[in-house]
Amino acid sequence: MARITLENIRKAFGKVQALDGISLDIKDNEFFVLFGPAGAGKTTILNCIAGITMPEEGTISFNGEIMNLIDPAHRNVAMVFENYALFPQMTVYDNMASALRSKLYREDEAVIKERIDKAARMMKMEKLLERLPSQLSNGQKQRVAMGRALVRTPNVFLMDEPLAHLDAKLRNSMRTELKEMQANLGSTCIYVTHDFMEAMALGDRIAIINKGKIVQIGSGDEIYYMPCNEFTAELMGDPQINIIPAEIYKSGSGYGAEMIVNGSKVRHELPEDKGVFAKIQERGLVKVDLGIRPQHIKYAFAPADGYFKTTVYSYESIGNKSVITAECGAYQLRMIAPNGLNVDIDSDIYIKLELDRSILFDPDSKKYLTRYDEEAIKSFAVKEVQ
Amino acid sequence: MAGLTLEHLYKRYDNSGKKKKTVNDYAVKDLNLVCEQGEFIAFLGPSGCGKTTTLRMIAGLEEITQGNIYIGDRLVNNLHPKDRHIGLAFEDYAMYPPLNVYGNVAFNLRAKGVDKNEIDRRVREIAPLMQIDDLLDKMPVKLSGGQKQRVNIARAIIREPELLLMDEPLSHLDGKARQAMRVEIKRLINKIRCTTIYVTHDQLEAMSLADKIAIINFGVLQQFGTPTEVYDDPVNEFVASFIGEPPMNILETTIAKINDKFFFTFKDSNLQIAVPKRYYSVVQDGFRCKMGVRPMDVLVGGPDSDGTPEEIATFENLGDERRIGIHVGDVLLMLITEDEKRYKRGDIIKLEVREEKTHLFDIETGDRIREKQEA
Repeated sequence: MARITLENIRKAFGKVQALDGISLDIKDNEFFVLFGPAGAGKTTILNCIAGITMPEEGTISFNGEIMNLIDPAHRNVAMVFENYALFPQMTVYDNMASALRSKLYREDEAVIKERIDKAARMMKMEKLLERLPSQLSNGQKQRVAMGRALVRTPNVFLMDEPLAHLDAKLRNSMRTELKEMQANLGSTCIYVTHDFMEAMALGDRIAIINKGKIVQIGSGDEIYYMPCNEFTAELMGDPQINIIPAEIYKSGSGYGAEMIVNGSKVRHELPEDKGVFAKIQERGLVKVDLGIRPQHIKYAFAPADGYFKTTVYSYESIGNKSVITAECGAYQLRMIAPNGLNVDIDSDIYIKLELDRSILFDPDSKKYLTRYDEEAIKSFAVKEVQ
Repeated sequence: MAGLTLEHLYKRYDNSGKKKKTVNDYAVKDLNLVCEQGEFIAFLGPSGCGKTTTLRMIAGLEEITQGNIYIGDRLVNNLHPKDRHIGLAFEDYAMYPPLNVYGNVAFNLRAKGVDKNEIDRRVREIAPLMQIDDLLDKMPVKLSGGQKQRVNIARAIIREPELLLMDEPLSHLDGKARQAMRVEIKRLINKIRCTTIYVTHDQLEAMSLADKIAIINFGVLQQFGTPTEVYDDPVNEFVASFIGEPPMNILETTIAKINDKFFFTFKDSNLQIAVPKRYYSVVQDGFRCKMGVRPMDVLVGGPDSDGTPEEIATFENLGDERRIGIHVGDVLLMLITEDEKRYKRGDIIKLEVREEKTHLFDIETGDRIREKQEA
């Protein structure tokens, strides 16, 4: 168990600045997710904490004690890799026992057995202990790799995309299982992933990493509802959020938004929201990007009040629901629809945006400005960190 | 363009070259399939199920052990691949690196000795369709994965094939590019209306693209139907659990008769779900089977609900939706909620199940148990 603190970590591989000033404060017993696209530097952060990679600048401390010069073995971290890294000639039991039997720990065989039995129960693999890795499926291999970490009582668990090698179905069920185990881990855990569902489901807090920098840190809800920029907004959610360029105009006592749809102007009154209106006034906003998630766009196949006309670009059924993509000229709008609709490509569709769910971004810097119901969302999404 | 017919198709890989003289099982077993002209068919199954083998037999890259393949009315069993009039697009792009995109797309036509002006006309016609008009002068190394796959598909369709075969064309692409490319393929096929066979292990791709899906497991065709049919009316447990994300909940159950009504009951659980009336003719007290219900058909009841109170074992907030897991015996029953409420582990909810949406499966074979049709 440990509180992990990183201060201004920098690391370059040749000309590439892999980590560009990373500072993190991960609490004791926290499940902390590092999330970002491939090549963002997530694994490098993990390797720095494990001691596999030496940062060029900055400090890494466990419970306030600087670890930079401690070698990996003595940092007491347990790592789970994407590609399992099991010893092929050893049974599952011996694989799990390997760390405890090493020179460093030399645990009693009785203690080892007790710990392995406990971990095996937790991972539901009691029946696999005598098998060799070659006799296991990929999901089982990953369980063994995790089990091998769980038998120890490390300062921190470091998990590097442990589910990425598994097929979609298995990944989902393993994610749920991991979530169930989370309460029993009894240690700090840092988890690297590029899958937003894993990040949302597992993380007490999530750090969004891009190009070696931290973009945002917050709870899943905070990042989903109040993404600090368009990049983060697009990472969370599938199908991804719609970003619509709009111009703000004054309308009576309130405001409206004007959008270009297939070359013609479409005007919508903005629903009243004190926070949003105050922001518009205070910043004198003229141009904004409206972020609207696919589930917040309504559609109809006949003209209706408040709906604007456009054409269907594609219609895809994705199991329990479908995605309609509508063509709007410079951009496309994705929206969620039920299954079994008879939608022809290039046919007419009428669309209404639920503007009272929108997020406002600055079109130049792409940064978060404000959103509807910001106060209400803050109250449940933003958690204080002690 | 032409349809495709597979008749009693078998494939067994020959092991004779190897030391161990074991007889392989069939990679493809008695496959029958009729694909109409202009249809988009997906072959869907887990890895090693024989879907690519079937595709390769259709293409002529693999010998047929037994059975017949017709493209249109033509028996093509012994026809050379080049004479089958097919277009192929594989998972890896296999482009000619010294040729630019134009050269790659035109390669087949040039090899056939098609007139230069005609080649140019066809390349220019297809390029905007695949959105590669700006890329024609580029070399393959300069292209992103998505662009390469576009070129690859353009190359397959420029031959104006009777049959277009695609083998996991999207599996090399990352999530976002895959989503975008899926939409493009859908539009393209809609436009050129070419009979297409599309091999994938991703049920989402199959569901979103195909007119009909052939679900294959262990070389045997399990079900062949429209996406709606395989989703709503699966023939067995395999199909039911393969289609849909999150997968269908499948639980072992014993039917109990209480006050003249039948209920699904579960080992080590107080959960009881009413058996739909239509199954009354096939069940009796103590009947053991498996019950399947999709996560969207399990609901959290309101305060007045008479659903069974259950404790939440897992709660996953995924942003767009929230998933709740409940222990029923040693199985985790999943459900999806779209309400904004945040639950936590240990909370008690009232569990409701849309009984009419439940499916019954045989406990041994996994085959669907259907209500008796009235004669």
